[in-house]
Amino acid sequence: MRLNILKGAVFGALFLLAAGLFDTQVLKAGYYRSLSENNRIRLVPLEAPRGRVLDRAGRLLATNRPAYHLVATPEDVTPTVYPKLATLLGISEKEVRKRMSSEREYPFAPVLLQPDISQKLLFQIEELRPELPGVSIQTDGIRSYPYGEVASHLIGYLGKVSPEEYRAGDRARFGLNSLIGRTGLEKLFDGQLRGWRGGRQVEVNARGEMLRVITETPPVAGEDVVLTIDLEFQKKLAEIIEPKKATVAFLDLKSHELLALVSSPAFDPNVFVSPGGGEERLGFLRDHRSPLLDRGVSASYPPGSVFKLVTALAALEAGKITPHTTFHCPGYFRLNGRGRAFRCWRPEGHGSLDLYRAIERSCNVYFYNVGRLVGPDTLAEMSRRLGLGQSFETELTNLAPGLVPDSVWKKSRMKEKWWPGETLSFAVGQGFLLVSPLQVLRLSAILAKDGEWIEPILIREAGSASKPLEKKMAIQSKNLQVIRQGMLKVVHSDYGTGQLARVDFGQLAGKTGTAQAPPHDPHAWMTGFFPFKDPQIAFVVMLEHGGSGGIAAARVVKEALQVWKEFYGDKVSPVA
Amino acid sequence: MVTKSAQWLRSIPLPLLRNALLIAVLGVCFIYSASFRTFDGFAGRQIAWIAVGLVFFFVTVQLGYRFFLGISYVFYLFAIACLVWVDVAGEVHLGAQRWIELGPFSFQPSEFAKLAAVLSLANFLGSHPPWEGEGRAILTAGFLVGLPFLLVMKQPDLGTATLFLPLGIVVLFLWGLRYRYLIVALLSGLLVSPFVWSVLKAYQKKRILVFMNPNLDPLGAGYTAVQSKIAVGSGGLFGKGWLHGTQSQLDFIPEHHTDFIFSVIAEEMGFVGSLALLFLFGSLFYQIFLVIDRTTDAKARLLGAGLLAIMFFQVLVNVGMTFGVLPITGITLPLISYGGSSLVSNAIALGLLVSVHKGRSIF
Repeated sequence: MRLNILKGAVFGALFLLAAGLFDTQVLKAGYYRSLSENNRIRLVPLEAPRGRVLDRAGRLLATNRPAYHLVATPEDVTPTVYPKLATLLGISEKEVRKRMSSEREYPFAPVLLQPDISQKLLFQIEELRPELPGVSIQTDGIRSYPYGEVASHLIGYLGKVSPEEYRAGDRARFGLNSLIGRTGLEKLFDGQLRGWRGGRQVEVNARGEMLRVITETPPVAGEDVVLTIDLEFQKKLAEIIEPKKATVAFLDLKSHELLALVSSPAFDPNVFVSPGGGEERLGFLRDHRSPLLDRGVSASYPPGSVFKLVTALAALEAGKITPHTTFHCPGYFRLNGRGRAFRCWRPEGHGSLDLYRAIERSCNVYFYNVGRLVGPDTLAEMSRRLGLGQSFETELTNLAPGLVPDSVWKKSRMKEKWWPGETLSFAVGQGFLLVSPLQVLRLSAILAKDGEWIEPILIREAGSASKPLEKKMAIQSKNLQVIRQGMLKVVHSDYGTGQLARVDFGQLAGKTGTAQAPPHDPHAWMTGFFPFKDPQIAFVVMLEHGGSGGIAAARVVKEALQVWKEFYGDKVSPVA
Repeated sequence: MVTKSAQWLRSIPLPLLRNALLIAVLGVCFIYSASFRTFDGFAGRQIAWIAVGLVFFFVTVQLGYRFFLGISYVFYLFAIACLVWVDVAGEVHLGAQRWIELGPFSFQPSEFAKLAAVLSLANFLGSHPPWEGEGRAILTAGFLVGLPFLLVMKQPDLGTATLFLPLGIVVLFLWGLRYRYLIVALLSGLLVSPFVWSVLKAYQKKRILVFMNPNLDPLGAGYTAVQSKIAVGSGGLFGKGWLHGTQSQLDFIPEHHTDFIFSVIAEEMGFVGSLALLFLFGSLFYQIFLVIDRTTDAKARLLGAGLLAIMFFQVLVNVGMTFGVLPITGITLPLISYGGSSLVSNAIALGLLVSVHKGRSIF
């Protein structure tokens, strides 16, 4: 009984299949046959425009400009077309044939002969169109960066998808000639910026000319990304440090937003999307000044005397010193009677000084003594708490982790115990210690915000201003107050190392650093916050092999602060 | 000796074997037509696979279906292990993995998981008649079918996975499942479908959506569906002639020597050819029904019905997708599509059926 039901189902279904085939193959045969002749149905992909990247004021950092691509459908091309195209494009006929036979997504898809052609060539081709069957022009958006080199390290650059990426990717997102973010925000936000491709099924005549559109799915544009960066401000800052190998960054202390993150020398990301840019791209790679390197976030350097702030705070927190603890500086320091002399930067010595003066004058010998009191592991712990050697949640690629050494690290890495002399180097920011300028910026911000943990913000949520999480660290306020007081003296005392950075519209607090990097010139550092009371911004300046922090870096700080005042100064109360 | 083997051969039901061989030979012709321009040598390899299939067929007949039922649980565990292994290897290789490499050969464990599921299901339900209590039997049966179903779906191979459903339903139905349970099962199937939807991969969801509205994906599956339909329809009544298809020859349709082989047949042989092929399949199914009808062994009945269900459902879905009445899934056309694993597993299935026929009690 049940078997008969099964029989009925099987043969009934086969009958329905046969009926369906009869409908398709006999009743509608004429319709399908006409479609199959000359393969009348063609597929035209519609590329989605990539999302834009805007700065905090809505200025365009990355957008799309219209471009014309020369394409051809090889099936429709007649042999007479090859020599004509060769003359028009100024390439050999062999090259035309080569491009004509490049890989395609599906049969009858047009191949890209020449991307982004000039207006002149466009008109020439349009005139010759009747003699060029199969050849057509595709209009499309092409990535463009109106600000050129400004913020180029942040935005990163695009490259063509590799065959592997194309095969692994979704057809709705990647075509054979699609571009994909290789570094920076273009890479990090590729999924968001990339839209969804659409397509059009068209019916064509025997010459490959379109008769009508059968179905069309419009492409969906990628989403925009809005940055906290102020591009005009960034541009002005870049003008100060160019063409030096340097970096400068500003952070808004109220919102934790990055206002500027400049690295010099920079590159023009437009070169990576322009078809003829191959030579220039190679130039970037060969340039010994490494313009592709983001010195602010992707490189680490010894911080030099800037690190004395950390050493001081570690000792205060550990109760090893008070602000009034005094040491004598004769210009050098010996671990024991016959040992090597560790020099202060001032050969004649600083005499007796307390902590405030030691910060103000950046006395090495004072901090050698302090370093010996606290030891390397306490220094390392405080460094990490203040974000040195620590990662960021900020949306940046290729973040340099930096390196905070301690005795355990030394043992496992060098198979050797930690030597007392290394503690002295560590205490003044030399030796194994490496930090990125962005980490130093965060350090200043944490000090300015009285021990609040800072995650710099780079991306704005749709439309709204950023609301940072307030996360206080367990560091005593009175100790932070001492450090800030020292930083004020660095700039405003007549013995301070950062006097050259003084500005006439408010009290500046900072710390200079001259990090030894033999055999070349030292790296010049200065970091700090402004104004001293109720700080609004934190900043860092680093000049790679730029010389003295108190001279080279402090000068840049002064100029940068003046630029900042032009942009945001009306909110700053004048000097009382 | 000679007379003995001649006797043995004579006991094999000729129409069933003849039908199956005819279908397979037709398959070789059209695999050749689908691939002769690219000189891939698929047709030659398919002939070799048919020879291998025949060996498996005769060995299966010789061993007998009772032997296979006896080892069904071991076979089942082995098949599950293979599926898990493929899954793990897939994770390692960061991609879909459906194959196990064995030296120069590779095989698709999902093909053998189908056989293992039918065998163990028939073995289990055949010794637990419905009047001994349906509840636990149904649960066990659901587990036997559900486990390989989920593993194959995770590969992800939605097409092959769906084959486990008609298999389970048909076997349970013939076993004597009460209609009300059948209705409950169907309803609960509807209830869990949102859950199944949520575990589907993005591309699988897309395929189903695209089937309902081909315009959603003009670049991918929707395009294949339209082109395949044009191929089938343009074949007309008598076709464009062997080796003279245009749609299928020009690479409009991907995988035309495997999943879309029917489009090639329909385009080149027309409605007459497709009808003839359906007739061949129909008579094969008729032979199988005769085998099921004549056996008195409860397990053999269920086994036969399960094997029939798999084969029939593959024909239905594969042919249906080529002209757009069913969604595009990676289901092959039995005995026709190029592929060793599928051919060997079908040969074993036919061997089991023939063995059921030989083992029938003749009074």
